[in-house]
Amino acid sequence: MRFFRYSLLFFFINFSIYAQDIQAVDTLKVETLKEVVITGQINPQSVEKSVVEVKVISRNDIERQAGNTLADVLNNTLNLNITPNTASGKSGVSLFGLDSQYFKVLLDNIPLINEEGVGNNTDLTLINLDDIERIEIVEGAMGVQYGSNAVSGIINIITKKSSKNTWDITTYVQEETVGEEYEWFKKGRHIQSLSIGHNISTNLYANATVTRNDFAGFWNEKKGESYDQNDGLRGHEWLPKVQQTAKALLSFQKERFAVFYRFEYLNEGIDKYDAIVDPNENSSTGTTNPSAIDEIYTNNRFYHHLNSTGTIFKNMAYNVSLSYQKQTKDLERYTYRIKSDEKENIEKGEYQKRSSVFSKGTFSNLFQTNNFNAQAGYETTLIEGYGSAGSFEILGADAISQKVNLYDVFSTAEWQLNEHFSLRPGMRVSFSNLFDPQYIGSLSAKQTFGEDWELRAILGAANRTPDYDELFTYFVDVNHNVQGNPNLNPEKGVSAFFHIKKSTRVTEKLRLKNKVSVNYLGLKERIELIVVNQSPLAFQYNNIDSYKALGAFSENEFFYQNLKAQLGFSVQGISKILDSNTQASDDFLFNLQLNANVAYGVPKWNTTFSLFFKYIGKEQQFVETSDAEGNQIYSRGTTDAYSWLDTTINKSFFDKNLTATLGCRNLLNVTSVNTTAFSGGGHNSPGIQIPLGYGRSYFLKLTYNINLN
Amino acid sequence: MNSLKFIFFSLSLLVFTACSNDDRNGSSEPFVVAFENLSANIAELPNTTTIALVYSETAAQNGEVRLSLQTINATYGTDFTTEPAAVNNEIFIPIQQGTTGTSLIFNKVSASIDETVEIKFTITQIDYPSSQIQGNTQFSLNSSASLGRSFEPNVGGPNEGNQVYIDLSSETETVVARDNWDLGFYSGNDFRVMINGSIYMAAAQLQTTNIDAVTQSDVTDLQSQVAVGTFNPVNEAYVDAPDGAIGGTTIAAISENNDNNKVYLVNLGYEVGTETPLPGSVAITGDTRGWKKIRILRNGTDYVLQYANIGDTNHQEVTISKSEGYNFTFFSFNTNTTVSVEPKAENWDINFTVFTNIIEFAGAYGFSDGVLNNRKGGVTAYLVNTNETSVSYDDFTSQHVNASNFEADQRTIGSSWRDVMNEDKVIYDHIFYVIKDPNGNIYKLKFTALLNDAGERGYPEFKYNLLQ
Repeated sequence: MRFFRYSLLFFFINFSIYAQDIQAVDTLKVETLKEVVITGQINPQSVEKSVVEVKVISRNDIERQAGNTLADVLNNTLNLNITPNTASGKSGVSLFGLDSQYFKVLLDNIPLINEEGVGNNTDLTLINLDDIERIEIVEGAMGVQYGSNAVSGIINIITKKSSKNTWDITTYVQEETVGEEYEWFKKGRHIQSLSIGHNISTNLYANATVTRNDFAGFWNEKKGESYDQNDGLRGHEWLPKVQQTAKALLSFQKERFAVFYRFEYLNEGIDKYDAIVDPNENSSTGTTNPSAIDEIYTNNRFYHHLNSTGTIFKNMAYNVSLSYQKQTKDLERYTYRIKSDEKENIEKGEYQKRSSVFSKGTFSNLFQTNNFNAQAGYETTLIEGYGSAGSFEILGADAISQKVNLYDVFSTAEWQLNEHFSLRPGMRVSFSNLFDPQYIGSLSAKQTFGEDWELRAILGAANRTPDYDELFTYFVDVNHNVQGNPNLNPEKGVSAFFHIKKSTRVTEKLRLKNKVSVNYLGLKERIELIVVNQSPLAFQYNNIDSYKALGAFSENEFFYQNLKAQLGFSVQGISKILDSNTQASDDFLFNLQLNANVAYGVPKWNTTFSLFFKYIGKEQQFVETSDAEGNQIYSRGTTDAYSWLDTTINKSFFDKNLTATLGCRNLLNVTSVNTTAFSGGGHNSPGIQIPLGYGRSYFLKLTYNINLN
Repeated sequence: MNSLKFIFFSLSLLVFTACSNDDRNGSSEPFVVAFENLSANIAELPNTTTIALVYSETAAQNGEVRLSLQTINATYGTDFTTEPAAVNNEIFIPIQQGTTGTSLIFNKVSASIDETVEIKFTITQIDYPSSQIQGNTQFSLNSSASLGRSFEPNVGGPNEGNQVYIDLSSETETVVARDNWDLGFYSGNDFRVMINGSIYMAAAQLQTTNIDAVTQSDVTDLQSQVAVGTFNPVNEAYVDAPDGAIGGTTIAAISENNDNNKVYLVNLGYEVGTETPLPGSVAITGDTRGWKKIRILRNGTDYVLQYANIGDTNHQEVTISKSEGYNFTFFSFNTNTTVSVEPKAENWDINFTVFTNIIEFAGAYGFSDGVLNNRKGGVTAYLVNTNETSVSYDDFTSQHVNASNFEADQRTIGSSWRDVMNEDKVIYDHIFYVIKDPNGNIYKLKFTALLNDAGERGYPEFKYNLLQ
């Protein structure tokens, strides 16, 4: 049945694939060696020259994986773990053991708004990759360059802003199974996209993209919306959701001046069909009229970004961004009469809203000499919002809006002491309406030995600002007392990284790149909900704990003719110093990760075979449990090891106008992992299952591409 | 040319997205007409009574329901009549399109109707497409206890502002605001005083017998402990025994010897909440109601209550008599008078109310959705878990009643019928109860709702049936 549907899909596309007179495009281009990066740089430059260590995921990598959202492509990145939440359908990031609160996501250098924050706490499934040129990743605290919450690292997503063609038109359809589940409409994932780019004149470029991503949910044992029995089987295992994205760019460039305006709109609808069915038994007639209370969540995100770069005063380069972003989440809650398919008691309204006005400017080449360059910059972030992620209350007119205003200035310099050694000091001062001024600094150094060896040492710092719940929660009644704390300070993070890199050209055909890194990340004044009064019992958030991550990792690349392989491994130890709990242990607990990434191209067939692998080793964590006597103790809970393995085949046809990507995600069919690392259980309790995925799934993506000159 | 092809391709994409469908398999339920209730006490009926019939769904068209009439010791026309009238012991009632029920009017004609009379109506035919006779197919007018019905006690929504006293055998409900009273003076043989656990009151004995000498500084340290919900088990001593045993009141038995009657520090608990919480949640408590100091003495068979605000150096005094036939005489500090709360002791079986319970290691804790049986009135109950007994509510008969299971503990139903620990607030479908009233009638009782259709808390529903 499934194959019939695929062939139907081919049938639709066959109408339009005879576009012979069009210039071929390199969708399968071999990796460029000199990747230019901008993250953490004074001026855009190659990865090799960068003092900061930057990892790049190229458009090619994204294509080979047929990744649609950021969550799809980061799955096999070393150190970085994707943490899916099956109930909400969101995906977060964990890096060096710290969750997505500590990790900053930027779009063209500016932090991206989301329902729980600006820049951090990002739901990766809400970031569509259709007009993305590359993704740059930096590990470690980047507070000087990118402000608060860039503690464990940053991702900078760089969009496409020019084209060498007069017209670029790309459209694709992608059909995916969700585990074993696939149907035209009710099951599986269905993606359609269209993007058009056009050079209006030599100076003016525009592009626009629309994408629809329909995820019909993971049903598993569940029976969907119209099921009327109260046995817990109504609804879906993973909530179905539909995302619609529209993006547009207008870019003007003339000599030493460039300006662009970029717009994004995202709409996401999530359907939550409650598992609980109220039979509404009529004991008089002995009949039922089952109903359930269902919820529809609607996310709307608007993103505006105006950026200008150029040079003034002879040589001073400036780069100024102004952005306004807004994200709202609406909730519609209603009583659904299952038999008659009717909605009653419809309640509708906004329950979360956040907007930010952001501006950042950098001014480089301030005192430029041959071996010295200084940059000064400012960053202002004005965030206004209400509604906490934890409450699902439709807000009335009396909702109190909270403001976080940050005004930062920063400066960095790059100093080339000699041909092989350069230094990069930096500092930032941050003023805010909520906290005392925060001062942070950074220092990086790079030393090269000949052509092949590169040494980097990077000291960075960044703070995490307390989130809405930590500052403003108020839950007090006769039995409870949990309160936010408006006097909280930002958590203070520092990191140190040391990288040794060597490039080797073994023969004309065989090249190697090896890197060994050592890392340290420390966090002080961590915020924790603690008991502030024993009797009556009261809780409040306070700056009390600290955290350390210490580790080593190695990343190795191997190029041989049409084969490219990448292999990495990492050992990270984490120590949590819980001053909020007297019995806690601060021993280091270690975790091993491996990743591998292989691409093999067969130019004759226009085909690339790819494999993406990641192993996440057994992970230990101290948790509060009770021993045989019922006393509270701290013991080591263990989360079992698991692996992700994806494979794809990428083949282009008809002068590369049509590309097909056929793949299998989660080949090892991982659905959940067993853990004893949860608090509250008995000492030797058997553990619980954490859902991770919906099992092995298959996809086919057909991309049709026209370039006109 | 290529652009044309491209447009065509794009259009074909649209086909995918445009025709999202939904194939629902509609199920067809039978149309049922049934009596709303099963019985009524003929002696207590007014001369004209409406007997309600309900439909399983709104009637989509006109139809007719046919009833048969059987009588014992009563004659149609001389002792009683009905509207529509009975012809040859048959009554035809029209079903009107757009309505959800209909009714039959019963008129008592003769004054000679006594407890030997029984009049029964039975549904014999429903003229309506795909109809079915099921549920309450019979309605009896006689002088015995109620056969059972369903109830939606008016607990008052998510603030649960009411105490609702239900008498199963007479199908009556008495609604009283939960903060209507503060102290209950026991009317039985003992001299005992209870505090109002439904507003989370607490009381602690002081060392003195001189109420006027107690100052704020004497009690300040104690005040943080004399409360519900402190998570300190010490506070168990400051609330009445949650099982409802009269000997377990926090205020000691009132002694004839005044030297034994100490002053008590009384936490008046909380006003009824006024906030509208999230659907499924409750907002039980409002502002705190403050503090009193009290001392209670005996005067013959009466109680003497002395009370004052904490800092006052003089006090008020009121004499409170026991109430014959009632469990308690109730007193309110709001009105400074006795107030009417409970029906007579034999006229209620269960009370829907917020109540104070004790959680092991955590002390006194406020519970919502409580149902307390009338322990002082002699009502006992037990819980049946169908996961263990395998007899369902519908199949449970008097044969299955185990007399040794009946418990006096007023929390036997308590909050054991619902689960509110998770985000989803649900009733346990596998639990029902057996209740014995003061007259020896035994009922089975099962909860059918905790929330209303909009998911709001404080709208319980239950059904019960006489076991005979």
